[in-house]
Amino acid sequence: MKPLFRPLAVGALVAAAFAAGPALAAKDVTFAVASTFTTTDPYDANDTLSQAMAKSFYEGLFGFDKDMKLIPVLAESYDVSKDGLVYTIKLKKGVKFHDGTDFKADAVKASFDRVTNPDNKLKRYALYSNIARTDVVDDATARITLKTPFSAFINNLAHPSGVIISPAALKQYGNKDIAFHPVGTGPFKFVEWKATDYLKVARFDGYWKKGYPKVDGITWKPVIDSNSRAAVMQTGEAQFTYPVPYEMAETLKAKPELDIVAAPSIIVRYLSMNTQQKPFDNPKVRQAINYAINKEAVAKVAFGGYATPADAIVPEGVEFSVKTGVWPYDVAKAKALLAEAGYPNGFETELWSAYNHTIAQKVTQVLQQQLQQVGIKTKITLLEAGQRVEKVESWQDPATAPVRLYYVGWSSSTGEADWALRPLLYSESWPPKLFNTAYYKSERVDGDIRNALLTTDKAEKAKLYKDAQETIYKDAPWAPLVTEKLLSANNKKLSGVYTMPDGSFNFTDVDLK
Amino acid sequence: MLQYIVKRLLGLVPTLLIVGVLVFLLVHLLPGDPARLAAGPDANPETVQLVRKDLGLDRPLPQQFLRFVAGALTGDFGKSMRTKRQVSTEIADRFAPTFWLTVCAMAWSVVFGMGIGIVSAVWRNRWPDRLGMTLAVSGISFPAFALGMVLMQVFAVQLNWLPTVGADTWKHYILPSLTLGAAVAAIMARFTRSSFVDILQEDFIRTARAKGLSEPVVVAKHALRNALIPVLTMMGLQFGFLLGGSIVVEVVFNWPGMGRLLVDAVDMRDYPVIQALVLLFSLEFILINLIVDVLYGLINPTIRFR
Repeated sequence: MKPLFRPLAVGALVAAAFAAGPALAAKDVTFAVASTFTTTDPYDANDTLSQAMAKSFYEGLFGFDKDMKLIPVLAESYDVSKDGLVYTIKLKKGVKFHDGTDFKADAVKASFDRVTNPDNKLKRYALYSNIARTDVVDDATARITLKTPFSAFINNLAHPSGVIISPAALKQYGNKDIAFHPVGTGPFKFVEWKATDYLKVARFDGYWKKGYPKVDGITWKPVIDSNSRAAVMQTGEAQFTYPVPYEMAETLKAKPELDIVAAPSIIVRYLSMNTQQKPFDNPKVRQAINYAINKEAVAKVAFGGYATPADAIVPEGVEFSVKTGVWPYDVAKAKALLAEAGYPNGFETELWSAYNHTIAQKVTQVLQQQLQQVGIKTKITLLEAGQRVEKVESWQDPATAPVRLYYVGWSSSTGEADWALRPLLYSESWPPKLFNTAYYKSERVDGDIRNALLTTDKAEKAKLYKDAQETIYKDAPWAPLVTEKLLSANNKKLSGVYTMPDGSFNFTDVDLK
Repeated sequence: MLQYIVKRLLGLVPTLLIVGVLVFLLVHLLPGDPARLAAGPDANPETVQLVRKDLGLDRPLPQQFLRFVAGALTGDFGKSMRTKRQVSTEIADRFAPTFWLTVCAMAWSVVFGMGIGIVSAVWRNRWPDRLGMTLAVSGISFPAFALGMVLMQVFAVQLNWLPTVGADTWKHYILPSLTLGAAVAAIMARFTRSSFVDILQEDFIRTARAKGLSEPVVVAKHALRNALIPVLTMMGLQFGFLLGGSIVVEVVFNWPGMGRLLVDAVDMRDYPVIQALVLLFSLEFILINLIVDVLYGLINPTIRFR
């Protein structure tokens, strides 16, 4: 009897192979990224990259499209109470989590109750600590009550960390282990995370948006060295990579199968000046420094031309940004201002950089050389992360802060002016609280920032933020330098992957020819 | 001999203890607050406090130290501050790739290095010597990252014969082990040569030649054994260094090894990982030294263990 079965079995195998035929041509894409992931839990992540990756399997109530415009995702619509305290959010129906459970208002409650509980010790606690409580009105409606009015709250919900986690999974794995078993509503299911090598996600068949995702899986592959990232693009081992180092752009452009994209960003690079210390307490000195710096040259030399001179305090692309214009480059005027301020022969000072990579090295060298032209002698120190924390970010006493000229950058991860101004220029944001490294204090700007958060009227907000930005421009606690461009490369067969202005990725439409 | 080995192994304990204390103190002396670093660029002071508690850094230093020692004794090095995974799993994941890469690199570089060294010594000051030593000097002076990039550009990007990054198949091992081994091969060649040149002038070599033994037998049997002792010492040292994970090669080839882990850990002030890694590196060095000492005895039976 036995031999009889053999042809049958072979036949079955052949048939099975045939049936599996179309599936064999799996559309798997690989993204080569610049560093390893710290976690898959967006509430416990502080790096843009881990949060961007987590969007494979998680979605929030709101989100940003590829141009950083706020869009509803799992939410249908929302209402704010008159006092700006109560947000009632209508939820999409028919959405399922990867574990098969339905997405309902209890998931919203579970997710926000988790992050607002300080016992869970999540790194994104501060972003949501203003939530007093979250209630389930009915299955399709959630209500969030705030402690104090905060008009940028919907932007906080759209922040890549504000995702909805399956309550069933949260219960099963607990607060810590959920990071190793992420379960969300996103287009892809989590498959495997080999911390050293890659993170794999596969298509989720029950995804609520019909026809999506268009590919079968994504492999997120951290490739640290930028030359190696360029190499995997050329060999076809990866279809998308970000960031591409400026000096590699020309080489990769020459490859017929690759596209190089320079996307606009909201990453602004600036030089902050410690306004509490001599000689930077004198606005004339600060203006002189602004006049002395040729921003075009900085963009060209240090950023290989992939940056534009900064023409605003809050960069274009962030809501309520106002163009204040580029400070003109005028050495004579700078010298005159210095003389007026009582420093006709210039002075000596420290120039620190918050980063120690090559670009920062080039920027500080250009700055040093240009400041030298007006008689300001600077001593450059490129701070390593630990030093930066010790000497700048955690410095306890503002009066003795050793920081003078400080090269640093920022991008407002909520896409809104509040998070572009408050951490950097509000008088209560001096280190060690937040990052007002200019130790800037202006009653007027403080008032504008405070009032803008209290009002829900858009026109009123725009007016307040405009006034704040114009005041800051005149007071010049910073020398705004450049707004970066984000350089990514993708294989021409790949479409629908974008680098967003904050350096995150949008890959809802990802497809492979 | 067994007694000797046991004695040496017992000697490990105080050494590791001292290393443990030193590394704990040094790591905590590094500038920079790990809680601040872990909390990230957007964090406010409350978040930093939360993170500090989460990482156990709010406890007094002596208490942290006791926890570290007690944990280390039971093989528990705590959790990585960066990834929140067990330090032992973090290291275990990366140990094998680094170990096998080291073995591959050592294997070819020892064979080539000694080969070149012997040839150079035998044909001293003639063209094989010049060629061999030119190669060796280039091997030492050519930086590993440049060599790695050139190899990758040629064999992976242009010719498409080998994969670029990762550690999945045997093919992945070729380029990194070539890069990693180049400097070792060069050092081995120079060491073997100088050691051989000395030995070849010894009386017993002249005796062997006078006995009428053929030159290959003289070189392979009489000279090699005796020349091997300093070479072996060098080999042990190099092996120990490579086991620590070559940062440059691991970055260029995206090798999931311990060098990269150490860099990541130092960047983020990931105390538990740094401590465990330094302890592991010391242990490796001590064990390799022990093995080298035992091998001395096998090569030269006149060496006695006490």
